[in-house]
Amino acid sequence: MPEVTKKIREIARSLLQEKKVDLVIGFEQGTLPLRATPCFVRGEKEVDRLVWDSFCENNLATYLIKRAERVAIIAKGCDVRTIVELIKENQISRDQVVIIGIPCQGMFDRRQVEAVLQGKEIQEVTEKDGQLILRGGSFKETLKRDTFLYPSCITCTHRNPVIYDLLVGDPVPELSTDPYQDVEEFEARSAEERWEYLIKEFTRCIRCYACRNACPLCYCQECFVDSSSPPWIGKTTDESDTAIFHLMRAFHVAGRCTECGACERACPVGVDIRKLNRKLARDVKERFGYESGVSLEQVTPLATFKPDDPEEFMVNP
Amino acid sequence: MKNPYIPFPMRIDNVVIETDDRDIKTFSLSFIHKEDEASFAYIPGQFAELSDFNKGEAPFGMASSPTQKGSLEFTIAKAGVVTTALHNREVGEIVGVRGPLGNGFPVDTLRGKNIVMIGGGFGFSTLRALTTFVLDEANRPTFGDITVIYGARNPGQLLYKDDLEQWGKRHDLNLYLTVDSRDDEWSGRVGLIPQITKEIAPSAENAYILVCGPPVMIKFTLPVTREIGFLPERTLLSLEMRMKCGVGMCGRCNIGSKYVCTDGPVFSCAQLSGLLFDES
Amino acid sequence: MKTKTIKKKDIASFLDTLLTRYEVFAPVERDERVVFEAIGAGSEATLDYQNTTMPPKGILFPQTEQLFSYRSTKDTADIAVPSFKEKPQLIFGIRPCDARSFLLFDHAFDGDPYYINRRGNTLLVSIGCTHPQAPCFCTSVGGGPFSEEGSDLLLIETGDQYLIQIVTDRGAQLLEESGFKDAGKDALTLAQKMIKTAEASMGAGIEIDGLKEKLDSSFENPIWQELTEKCLGCGVCTYLCPTCHCFDMVDEAEGSTGERIRIWDSCQFPLFTLQASGVNPRPTVKERFRQRIMHKFSYMIESYNQIGCVGCGRCITECPVNLDIRQVVHTISKLEALS
Repeated sequence: MPEVTKKIREIARSLLQEKKVDLVIGFEQGTLPLRATPCFVRGEKEVDRLVWDSFCENNLATYLIKRAERVAIIAKGCDVRTIVELIKENQISRDQVVIIGIPCQGMFDRRQVEAVLQGKEIQEVTEKDGQLILRGGSFKETLKRDTFLYPSCITCTHRNPVIYDLLVGDPVPELSTDPYQDVEEFEARSAEERWEYLIKEFTRCIRCYACRNACPLCYCQECFVDSSSPPWIGKTTDESDTAIFHLMRAFHVAGRCTECGACERACPVGVDIRKLNRKLARDVKERFGYESGVSLEQVTPLATFKPDDPEEFMVNP
Repeated sequence: MKNPYIPFPMRIDNVVIETDDRDIKTFSLSFIHKEDEASFAYIPGQFAELSDFNKGEAPFGMASSPTQKGSLEFTIAKAGVVTTALHNREVGEIVGVRGPLGNGFPVDTLRGKNIVMIGGGFGFSTLRALTTFVLDEANRPTFGDITVIYGARNPGQLLYKDDLEQWGKRHDLNLYLTVDSRDDEWSGRVGLIPQITKEIAPSAENAYILVCGPPVMIKFTLPVTREIGFLPERTLLSLEMRMKCGVGMCGRCNIGSKYVCTDGPVFSCAQLSGLLFDES
Repeated sequence: MKTKTIKKKDIASFLDTLLTRYEVFAPVERDERVVFEAIGAGSEATLDYQNTTMPPKGILFPQTEQLFSYRSTKDTADIAVPSFKEKPQLIFGIRPCDARSFLLFDHAFDGDPYYINRRGNTLLVSIGCTHPQAPCFCTSVGGGPFSEEGSDLLLIETGDQYLIQIVTDRGAQLLEESGFKDAGKDALTLAQKMIKTAEASMGAGIEIDGLKEKLDSSFENPIWQELTEKCLGCGVCTYLCPTCHCFDMVDEAEGSTGERIRIWDSCQFPLFTLQASGVNPRPTVKERFRQRIMHKFSYMIESYNQIGCVGCGRCITECPVNLDIRQVVHTISKLEALS
């Protein structure tokens, strides 16, 4: 059993035993190869369901909202950033949550891995030294971690939890590559090309709202897409409606989005949802020196006003 | 094949503001095309989808009786987008109508029987349709004793005041009105429907009892109907669920395997006891 | 039953012939994904795919569809119903599970002229599944990787050619003048072997016997709370489901003209059943998820005498949190009766 899994179970067991929490939210083995699935543990007997591997892709912070219980949560670097934002937005209280932080080396993109296999049935999955070894009836594939990570893991800036109550595993080195290189490339294109790209992406959208529902920061009581009076947005999959949905959503999470990538991983049709989110995240970082979810103290820039806020956009769109 | 989604136009001939707060109005609509009237053969308890074009559709039970030729009446409470738009409509304007939909009250089964109708608030509209139907000159001899118990939150919320006055004078109808809270002019009964029903205790002998009203009223009235001797097979309810298509296809108004729009909205308690309700 | 054979390399030209008479929908590669699209040439189609993420249900039940257009002023309302497309169409390369799903749609849309017209105008040429995938469970819900139910023709991969099983007269007509050879004994034997191997490779699936009764008696069981705790409440499972058919109707207006359209809707969304009064009989994911399971494995059996699931596994593959319908059903079927 991997060391981290063992440690997580020990911690969960003692937290429940000592009645420090009512619930531990973590991951258990999924029902398909390459999948882990969220798991809610309330009793010591269930503790051994908990696992940790490179398929723990969900941002579990989404389950913290509107919960009355005291909760321990397994959190990767990006998940912790989300928890920080949720605390700042008064959606959860710091005392209610025990953060079991896990330094993260990135999660495997199951769709990319499946693409390599071309439908061959996986019988055994093992992880060793940053490699994924897949075995089936007639094949063995060894995949290097770094080439099969989720896009959000490749551009991750905080693999190590910024706050935590307990840390499981050793800190990992942060990535040294420029996280916004793709945004810069996107910006370098002409306005027409950018629009064409976004529209092509949005056109695939089927309005299932998996992105919104997977996003821990999309917690509005009534989402603007659901309002009937007034109906802010049409319900069709026409490009105008889907574009408005994604543009509005990007603005709603601007300066808050922690770039965890939960939206994109949830999307069944592969819309590049993060492009806009990351463009806005970088703008907020450049203009206000703010990176979401890295400090409990720093004020969210779009939730405050300063007389000397940069405002070139008002004259130079 | 008939296209079940296409509404036909009807003209608003009259609008009656029913309640003091002006939030409930009754619209009288006349058919524009003769063939639409011919195809709209309905019985009390059925409903139709009303269109306010640009806003959409919403379902309403017919508040009129098929014995009233040439027009349909709908009593509409202002609640959502469509009902608000309809409330802003004036005499002479056109709305769309699609129906008749649903099963309606089992009029043929009720013939020869005594009928007890219990209505609360806005839910009274289809019972008003049935009362008008039963009181029709040709129909009246085919039904037994008719008892109507109707309650509202206060006197200002009572619908169909002209009808109530007329009915009150009749000897072939037992009308009991009640309000939850009275005002200075009210000299009638004060009390909740379940309690009033218990006091009146209409006989279950050769009778059916029909209950229409808000869920909480139904919840507390049903034990009373049972207590005074009405069997579940003879206790009928008209249910409300969110509906869209009205023809059993859009999938939202089911209770268990039954669609309220096509299998209902009228069910006997015996039928309902076998169904799986999301909310008990 | 009559069988023909077609060489794999002749598929494109066969499609080209069909294109002269039919609008042909086939799996094509778009942005590294396979989707069903109307093709312009036979060479665009690919039969080398597992299954599409989106089922082809939208071809017969579009996600957005105009029911009628109107011009409405205060004292007029003119309504125009769109004319139905006359040209016959064909879905080529559909998987047997998806072909079966239309048999359920036939019940659900009984009386719906939009669906019925398209359906009557559409032929289905399915391709059997030589390599069923981990989430597939068609065999436990009455289908199979080579089920011909609902198809007009069924292709079975046998080396460098396909065996064509002729299922309906309409299917047979497609092959008239094609010049395809009758299948020989070797091809038939090989096809049988492919079918056997594929069926044997299927996972355990779900237990259907007694499931409906179990579901009906477990409706109030608190287990539903536990089973649905991780559900995000999104619409992936319903929109990707080939048998989900719920819809909404809305007006899209510009001034005095507009159209009433219907759009896919999902029982997983809170608005689906929210009444204008504010009452919602299915206020949480528990009731909504339960509705989806009950609808497929109880209500549809009651209404149509058919299981409302074809076992395609899309809801399992694409659920963002791996909430597996097989596991839910299994848990319910293993429940002890509530005392």
